[in-house]
Amino acid sequence: MIDRIILGHNQFFGVNHLAAQRGNEKHAYFNDTSRIKHIINFSFDHGAKAMMMSTHERASLVAEEILHDSRLKDGLGIYLLVPYAAKYVRQANEKGLVNIVKDSLGGTTFGDKLGTFWRGGLGLISKDVKKLLVALIDFEVAQYAKLNLKAIFLHDVVTDLVLGWDVPNIFEIYADHVQNKYNAIPAFCTKNLPKLVEALKGVGIENPLIMASINKLGYQVNPSLDAFEACLKSNKLQLLAMSTLAAGYLKPKEAYEYVFSLPCVESVVVGVSTTHHAVETFDEIRMQIKKRQQIEEPISS
Amino acid sequence: MRVAVVGIGKMGLLHAGIMNAMDGVELCGICDSSKFLLGFAKSLKNVSTHDDFKKMLDKENPDSVVITTPVNLHIPMASECVEREIPFFLEKPLSLESSDADALVESIEDRNLVTMVGYMMRYVETFQKAKEILASGALGDLINFNATIYVAQLFKTGKGWRYSKKESGGGVVVGQATHLIDLLQWYFGKVDYVSAHTKNWYSQEVEDFAHAHFEFSDGVTGWMDSSWSVRHHRLLEITIKVNAANGNLIVNDDYVKLFLDVDVNGYQAGWTSLNRPDLFEGVEFDVGGPQYTKQDKAFIEAIRKTEKVKSDVKNAHEVQKIVDAIYSSAQKRGRPTRVE
Repeated sequence: MIDRIILGHNQFFGVNHLAAQRGNEKHAYFNDTSRIKHIINFSFDHGAKAMMMSTHERASLVAEEILHDSRLKDGLGIYLLVPYAAKYVRQANEKGLVNIVKDSLGGTTFGDKLGTFWRGGLGLISKDVKKLLVALIDFEVAQYAKLNLKAIFLHDVVTDLVLGWDVPNIFEIYADHVQNKYNAIPAFCTKNLPKLVEALKGVGIENPLIMASINKLGYQVNPSLDAFEACLKSNKLQLLAMSTLAAGYLKPKEAYEYVFSLPCVESVVVGVSTTHHAVETFDEIRMQIKKRQQIEEPISS
Repeated sequence: MRVAVVGIGKMGLLHAGIMNAMDGVELCGICDSSKFLLGFAKSLKNVSTHDDFKKMLDKENPDSVVITTPVNLHIPMASECVEREIPFFLEKPLSLESSDADALVESIEDRNLVTMVGYMMRYVETFQKAKEILASGALGDLINFNATIYVAQLFKTGKGWRYSKKESGGGVVVGQATHLIDLLQWYFGKVDYVSAHTKNWYSQEVEDFAHAHFEFSDGVTGWMDSSWSVRHHRLLEITIKVNAANGNLIVNDDYVKLFLDVDVNGYQAGWTSLNRPDLFEGVEFDVGGPQYTKQDKAFIEAIRKTEKVKSDVKNAHEVQKIVDAIYSSAQKRGRPTRVE
């Protein structure tokens, strides 16, 4: 069972889908990780016992703090998002794609692990895609492996590239490895829900956990709000809804009323950067969930 | 339509993914110098892989080509496509120097060949809306502007072709500010004179900072400041502020704000503010941002209808001439330099 309310992480790392300026300011504010921890603890006290976490440079510091806190270490469910795409885009600009793979996997830990295989050089390694992909996943997850990992999400840039290139066997490799090695739910973030659902069906991944933007304005919803809603109505999946407030355009009440009126919505990511509105938001979500449960299971029954 | 891609880096992966997902479009071949990337692609996907561009064209006979290689390879590859009458999409910038592209531009002049250069900011909703407002004439005479393009990318010596002048043609001006220069040219027309200063700090061969002043043919003036070494800009961010007779306009990646003294052409007096969510439209398939899909779709549709796109090789050649003038002026400590 996945958590109903998952604390978002974007605000901690300067990601703001409405205003880069505001994102940059929050990035500076949360430079002090104790401020992040304060929000995590506050949310935990108010029943939000789960958190999204990207593998941003700053996230590893937060992970360290969580591991040193016995309550959070076991109690806080972590929904990890890999890889941290913005870092790789920057690195690709800085040194090119091939150098990224070389540098990432060339470090002692992974070089040793791949052993003679690695010493055969990149020409050889590329022939065993499975081994390479698994090594890349492990490289990303390494610093977070001791956390209470509930699910590991494949970042939308990767998920959507896999869709575009039409190589869905990568989803299979990913799902098997996450399940077997980390005992976590293999999950996917996407900007193209209907297409992803079809592709996952094709490789036999049933009832997948998917994170995607959904709000009644249709902001960041592809290919259209209608097609997205139709996909939820005609498929079996667990949706973790993000961008539910349309980057602050919607008030929590109207936003969550809409989101929980949709089928398959299991859970929401909530961006909290001050404790001020957090409780109100959590209560609103719980009320909407309760409302839906009453409709689905009438009290008389 | 069968598309071949040369240069499987960040942008090659992206365009190949977007186009391959389009109805009626199929990725027929990829070409790269890295055996590692080719081996990786080959073992994942049943696609023909090549390490020689001409041989790929011979064998695959594609309907269009996407060129996403280091800049120094752009012109020879584009020329090969022209010779074979194959429509092509080329990542920006066009060339190392504008003169490198003179013959290419001339050879395309008398052909009915679709070409596109990847100045994708034109497909970002906010910059598109700003173009619409500027073109409506609501602001009256345009007076001047200031513009910035920043990203926090480089804080040590960079590796790879982007930082080698021989392969990239230069630093932040040709590598990133060309996006902004393209927008400025789209908004304000032809540039006559440029005065510029550049500075190296992290890079050995290329500039990390640049500041340029422009004089446009129809009287608009303004400055641009650019760097890839400015902290606290997680993503590439462009801001343009325009002062005009009837008011002013501010546009960046997140919003367009228009201020007018009085009602004009259907735009109201006072502030009109449009944010990205106001302007968003879903796309059939999104990787890395809807602007890339819209751009690639415009390219594919132009080929199908044999229509030219505005952001073509000729337009990119004009951008390149402005870049040349910036570098030339910077060498003379900002002396005003005519854009040829």
